Amino acid sequence: MDEQRISTPIHVPRPAGPWQGVHENLTRLGNAVVHTTWGEWLPAALTAPRLRRLLGRDWTRYRRIPDPTVRYRFVAARLLMKHTAAAALRVDPETLDLAYRLGGRPYLRGFDQIDLSLTHTGDLMAVGLSRHGRIGVDAEPADRRMRFDLLQAQMCTPTEAAELAPLPEHEQTAQTLRLWTLKEAYTKALGQGMRLGFTEFGFGLRSGRLLAPDGSPATRGEWAFATHPALGGRYLLSVACHDAGLDPAADTSAGTMLDPGFLAAMADHQH
Amino acid sequence: MTTPVTAPAPAAAAHRPSTPGPTTGPGAPGGAPPGDAAERAAWLENLLGDPDDPRNPHGYKPLLDADDRREAPAATEALLTEAGLTAEFVPHELGGRLIRPDLLAQVLRPLFRRDVALGFGHGITSLFGASAVWAAGDAAQRETTARVLLAGGRTPIVHHELAHANAILRDEFTARPTPDGGFVLSGRKDVVINADRADAYVMYARTAASTGPRSHSVLLLDPEQLPPGGLRRLPRALTPGMRGSRFAGLRFTDCPAGADTLVGDLGDGVPLALRTYQVNRCLIPATVVAGVDSVLRFAVRAATTGRPAGVPPRRWHTVLTGVFADLLACDSMAVTGLRALSLLPDSSHLLAAAVKMTMPDLLREDLEELSTVLGAHGYDRGPRYGGFQKLVRDLPVAGLGHAGTAACQAVIVPQLPTLARRSWFRTDEPAGRLFLPRAPLPAFDYRALTLTGSDDVLTASLIGTAERLAPLRATSDAWAALADLADAFVQEMRALREQCAALPDITHAALVDPRVCALADRYALVLAAAACLGVWQGQDGTGTFLSDPAWAVLALTRIGRRLGVPVPELPENTTKAVLEEVLARYRDHRSFDLYDTQLAG
Repeated sequence: MDEQRISTPIHVPRPAGPWQGVHENLTRLGNAVVHTTWGEWLPAALTAPRLRRLLGRDWTRYRRIPDPTVRYRFVAARLLMKHTAAAALRVDPETLDLAYRLGGRPYLRGFDQIDLSLTHTGDLMAVGLSRHGRIGVDAEPADRRMRFDLLQAQMCTPTEAAELAPLPEHEQTAQTLRLWTLKEAYTKALGQGMRLGFTEFGFGLRSGRLLAPDGSPATRGEWAFATHPALGGRYLLSVACHDAGLDPAADTSAGTMLDPGFLAAMADHQH
Repeated sequence: MTTPVTAPAPAAAAHRPSTPGPTTGPGAPGGAPPGDAAERAAWLENLLGDPDDPRNPHGYKPLLDADDRREAPAATEALLTEAGLTAEFVPHELGGRLIRPDLLAQVLRPLFRRDVALGFGHGITSLFGASAVWAAGDAAQRETTARVLLAGGRTPIVHHELAHANAILRDEFTARPTPDGGFVLSGRKDVVINADRADAYVMYARTAASTGPRSHSVLLLDPEQLPPGGLRRLPRALTPGMRGSRFAGLRFTDCPAGADTLVGDLGDGVPLALRTYQVNRCLIPATVVAGVDSVLRFAVRAATTGRPAGVPPRRWHTVLTGVFADLLACDSMAVTGLRALSLLPDSSHLLAAAVKMTMPDLLREDLEELSTVLGAHGYDRGPRYGGFQKLVRDLPVAGLGHAGTAACQAVIVPQLPTLARRSWFRTDEPAGRLFLPRAPLPAFDYRALTLTGSDDVLTASLIGTAERLAPLRATSDAWAALADLADAFVQEMRALREQCAALPDITHAALVDPRVCALADRYALVLAAAACLGVWQGQDGTGTFLSDPAWAVLALTRIGRRLGVPVPELPENTTKAVLEEVLARYRDHRSFDLYDTQLAG
């Protein structure tokens, strides 16, 4: 596993923060993962004075969700994404345009210094941020029983099946769940979700490395993965991080991203 | 000037022995034949040969093996040198073959289809450097630089540090002016392409402590002319992408350089960067698109192998047709941008910045979509599919990521209020030949590029096309969809005009309201749509696939969804029509771009 390359998830109980840990992790490791419960964020979401402006283009979608629980989760999750991103960019969350790629992956229009990913299940919500490349996060309830014998054909490569089969049932179920969250996190990082078949790639059970179905290494170290317990161990939270290798700036603030020399030269030509 | 020579027969050339010959100029045997760009592209395609042929020394196998060993592919570099490829970067009047950048992109595609890193390392990064000399150099500098490139040499660019710099853009050199008009160079930079094997460096050096527009100057440096000890070459920098490319560091220590090294005037660096980078900004997507062309070919191969009648399973139709439409959209925008450099040299910088802001990102998304079709093949390191992972690694280096995007935003953002108040819904439509990839244009001249214009002809074209399409809705569902899409983008332009007109003028060098970055992004996507519509309209009546609204409907639908504007349902048969073309081009070995050219193999 790559715990040393991926930040430990931070609990952020409300929009006001604290956000310091996000800055520290982004600077140090290039990524940050925030988790919370939608119950904690909902009061702030519902009392946000300008919810419509904060939701932007998601406002219509929000209003059309008939089920109140689903609607509340939706708004709390949007708020979490915007506030987390706003902390990284050091801007007012209202100024951000949360947009969606063709496959549904959210991104921050106009700010490609940060990639982000959202997961929610039960009362948990989590957002991952990365300045090195794609990031995907996925969470499942830790007690969700994933039966290897039922899921094997659908989600395991031959190499994974061979590793899982001899394990005692309890451990087998736990490892199957872990694999599932890793696979979800990876395909979400690619923006594809389950369109990328789960048997087309695999993970080494012990190494946590991405493998081709035949067990050979799938990449050259660009990807890092980690699985963490969250909310007192009630959930399992997996993270997949890609490093495009550009060694980007540690500064992710919006205020400093436009080159002053270029801006000044362009402004010169405007007058 | 290059001497016309007879090219070796392409079939024989494809499998020539891989022993690198002595470095020879373009006039030597093996040099490219005279002829137009399309002929030279075909010649290069055949010279490089069938990439899938395991016996071809320039095929996927040796190219991937070299990447694996972190080496530049020696045999192919030698072949390209012998073929005089670098003469393509030298203006015609100086003895080279550079007439227009759109033609250059066309000639380079065979190389980029096989190896994007090689296209950079052995190719266009020398032009990125030399272009400042073509734009502002004196006669002697132009002649020297031309001589270096005509002999197969390298003139890499040494960037100055830009905001939010990554490894390639980080750090810069200072050149302290001396009373005799010369400079004293100092500083260190760790990631410079071909730093260890450059014949000349084109350095953007800091010559003033200020942060204004006159802070930097361009110097043309011949490493042989520098005093001993002044320049030290540092160890190679190993990069995760473009693994075989020769990135290394340079250190200058109190190194004197003569007054004759200054290109243009003192303080011209930043304006020169802005003027010349516009070419690079279009050229990068216009060449990298050829790399993604190959990956689409891998994906069609994966989806059709062993299938009845060579038809892929239904679940892959959306991805294969969508990516093909994106490639045509990318090509439409990049080629229009490249052609604008010749036709509208005063205001092409806006479009160029928009091309670079949107297209590398779109191509990256396409690779991610294609990974679903490739499945396990996507991790294969062999020659049949290994080019996929290699392009996934190389593409971010080509686009330069966030720092590359931000540099383009810095061009568009300050212009938004002016555009909204003076150009949008006012400027006249451009000449139709802007959108005709094969139509003649005035010759291109780097010296003519300026930053003074702020007329946006592409938006004008979008509005005009939307008006012309409106009464034609009854023609067919496809025409109706296209008219709806055009309208949706025009509506988006109205919204943008309203929001941008309300912005304060950018009078000082700072980002005051972060909302402008999202506005710039939306605007760039509208320009992408406008370019597609322009190219489609230009093909009207030709009876070719490109004159069919199907591809434009699909491309605009995808751009519209990225933009978040309402898009109509895809008309029935859209996917079918585009898929038929994908499969036909795959079967017949034709390129997935606007030029629809014959490929080797």
